[in-house]
Amino acid sequence: MLLSRTADNIYWGARYMERADDTARVVRSFTEVLLDLPTGVASSWEPLLAVIGSRELFDEGHVRANESDIVRFLVADTANPGSVVSSVAHARENLRTTREVLPRDAWQTVNDLFLYTGRDAESGVDRRSRARFLSRVVSEHQRLDGVISGAMQRDEAYEIWRLGQALERADMTTRVLGVRAAALLAAPDTVDDYDEVQWMGVLRSLTALQMYQRATRGPIVGSGVVAFLLFDRQFPRSVAGCLERIKSSLSRLPNPDITAPAVEAIEQSLVSVRADAGDGAALDAAMDEVQLALAVLNDAVFDAFMRAGE
Amino acid sequence: MAELRTQSGMWDELIEEDGSPRPAAERLVDQLKELGMSELQQRQDLAELDIVGMGITFTVYSDGRGLDRSWPFDIIPRIIAADEWRRIERGLMQRLRALNAFIDDLYHDQRIVADGVFPAGLLEHSVNYRPQCRGVSPKHGVWAHICGSDLVRDADGTMYVLEDNLRVPSGVSYALENRAISKRAFADLFSQQSILPVDAYTDELKRMLTSIAPDGIDDPSVAVLTPGIYNSAYFEHSFLAQRMGAALVEGADLVVGDDDCVYMRTIAGRERVHVIYRRVDDLFLDPDEFRPDSALGVPGLMRAWRAGNVGIANAPGAGVADDKVVYAWVPEFIRYYLGEEALLPNVPTYRCVYDDERQYVLDHMEELVVKPANESGGYGLLVGNRATRAEIDEARANIEADPRNWVAQPILSLSTAPTLCDGRIEPRHVDLRPFILSGASQYVSAGGLTRVALRRGSLVVNSSQGGGSKDTWIVEG
Repeated sequence: MLLSRTADNIYWGARYMERADDTARVVRSFTEVLLDLPTGVASSWEPLLAVIGSRELFDEGHVRANESDIVRFLVADTANPGSVVSSVAHARENLRTTREVLPRDAWQTVNDLFLYTGRDAESGVDRRSRARFLSRVVSEHQRLDGVISGAMQRDEAYEIWRLGQALERADMTTRVLGVRAAALLAAPDTVDDYDEVQWMGVLRSLTALQMYQRATRGPIVGSGVVAFLLFDRQFPRSVAGCLERIKSSLSRLPNPDITAPAVEAIEQSLVSVRADAGDGAALDAAMDEVQLALAVLNDAVFDAFMRAGE
Repeated sequence: MAELRTQSGMWDELIEEDGSPRPAAERLVDQLKELGMSELQQRQDLAELDIVGMGITFTVYSDGRGLDRSWPFDIIPRIIAADEWRRIERGLMQRLRALNAFIDDLYHDQRIVADGVFPAGLLEHSVNYRPQCRGVSPKHGVWAHICGSDLVRDADGTMYVLEDNLRVPSGVSYALENRAISKRAFADLFSQQSILPVDAYTDELKRMLTSIAPDGIDDPSVAVLTPGIYNSAYFEHSFLAQRMGAALVEGADLVVGDDDCVYMRTIAGRERVHVIYRRVDDLFLDPDEFRPDSALGVPGLMRAWRAGNVGIANAPGAGVADDKVVYAWVPEFIRYYLGEEALLPNVPTYRCVYDDERQYVLDHMEELVVKPANESGGYGLLVGNRATRAEIDEARANIEADPRNWVAQPILSLSTAPTLCDGRIEPRHVDLRPFILSGASQYVSAGGLTRVALRRGSLVVNSSQGGGSKDTWIVEG
């Protein structure tokens, strides 16, 4: 038995923790890539805003868009609901009331991370300490993941956690593909020699570089990267990999008929990208479509589980 | 280590007046002396680390925000000899049988009023009387299923009942956690002597709750109803739900169907609830019948309860016996309903509504604590030996103007127990809150929560005001 309210809290707790982690990875890899590129190569921090999807909110509060403004906004700004510190705080708020369902250590991990990010957020902005701060966020989330996979009953609450995590992760992968990969495909000549560095950055931001190399054994080329991040079911951050996870969780949860159409729609939109993987604008549009389908699934999850008792 | 001191004129729970340990405390005192201060302090520090690590917290409010504070704990246990404890236990069970009979009578025929034992007019003053409960017959005739009665010991060693908390008493989870910590701190003592285990409480609680399920339900579903995360006792609500394997629900998680049954909203749809252990005050239980603005409650819950479709502990309306005036009549209830004499004394209470008792109060103001009957939280309370002339005169005038609203009690000297304070062992005042369960049968927690006033001379044991707690050992002789 799982209360709808508890399910809602676990689902959002999982999403927010994943979001904090994903954002930390993206900012970390972006910083690394930009440091690798020589000055003179068009380097801008603005794509970061597009990936995280908070351009409008940023523009409301900022005139310029320089590195430290953008990074602060994405990492340390409590007024930005999508920043790393805000995401961790939202996760904690949601998980506070699920202590009798999640393993005891899970709450403690989240609480520790909340205390750390609240105290040290500014060190995530400063270039010299940024990687350390962001890596701590990533590794604490991994610790939480370890506690949950190692100590939690495979019950409805577990499946809801995995569902929220996979949905959020799929969303981030489509954002990275839709913004950064699409931009690289659309204008390969502007980055010329640094093409490979940029594609490595795309892979890095999803912690996919090593696994891509293992899986493909070939050079790093745009079409290969896109195909890997979209379709490789064995990679847990690919859209297809996340979708497998989503389907597996939904199959163990009640009311599968309510969520089935939304899952079907995601699969359909993936099939339609297959043909266009080499075309930047088409990729961007296709990723928008997948994101919309994910949003529909999010609503279906709400209808299926949170409103089941109405 | 210095000798364990007592405070002159006070009863100490562990130490006799001549400085030697009481028989049940001998092994503990030996061990304390063997350990010495620095080892003892080290164990205290470890215990405090355990408390942080186990996340045992209570919530205090400041700036409108709830903050989790670690539970204050003193490592030196309070000890009660098992034979004394058995007498206390019998006294508490007797008391609850009488209190439940009284509540049941009040909401039915009011025989006790008709027979002239309990004055008719008093009920109109009780803020906890619920006319909505009239004529309802909860199972086993029990209304107060969980009671936390506060016990204090006076200078002559007599244990008194100071008050009965019959609404939503809290503290039992801390008593259980205190034991977990003290077992680590004094592992060897637990193997050397017989100290009654406390862990059975949550099983007994589950058994009691199961016994008040609607008739014909074999395997009832039990839920703990909490006001939510911002309630100061949320830790306890969550703890008890976990230990009983019950659902922890908030008002919005429950719904009363057209069939007058209560359901939880789960991800698989509605699921029936048979018993609710509510930690929400009466007035917030059901916005249809009590406070319409309550978001903590469940519309229709009272209807479901009256239809016998859900057991609620404590029953709505049980708080009517949680009242300073009603308290004064408990010895009479025991006589009237059970035909017995009270095994556990009340603090002598003078009821100003009676001429002779009022006269005594007016003549002895300096020796008494004067309490208004319907105020809580110490408001309007007068301690005779600390009051000014003018305050006493004012209280006197108040009593004469509205005698019904006043009671008075002698000023007790709360007993002490050795407590670790700033690297020394000092006597500090303690009380005891045992928990009494009543359903198909009765059960009393083995000991209960000992609270200690950590400040010298202070009588305030509340954790929100600088009070701490101790493990309570019932030791077989």
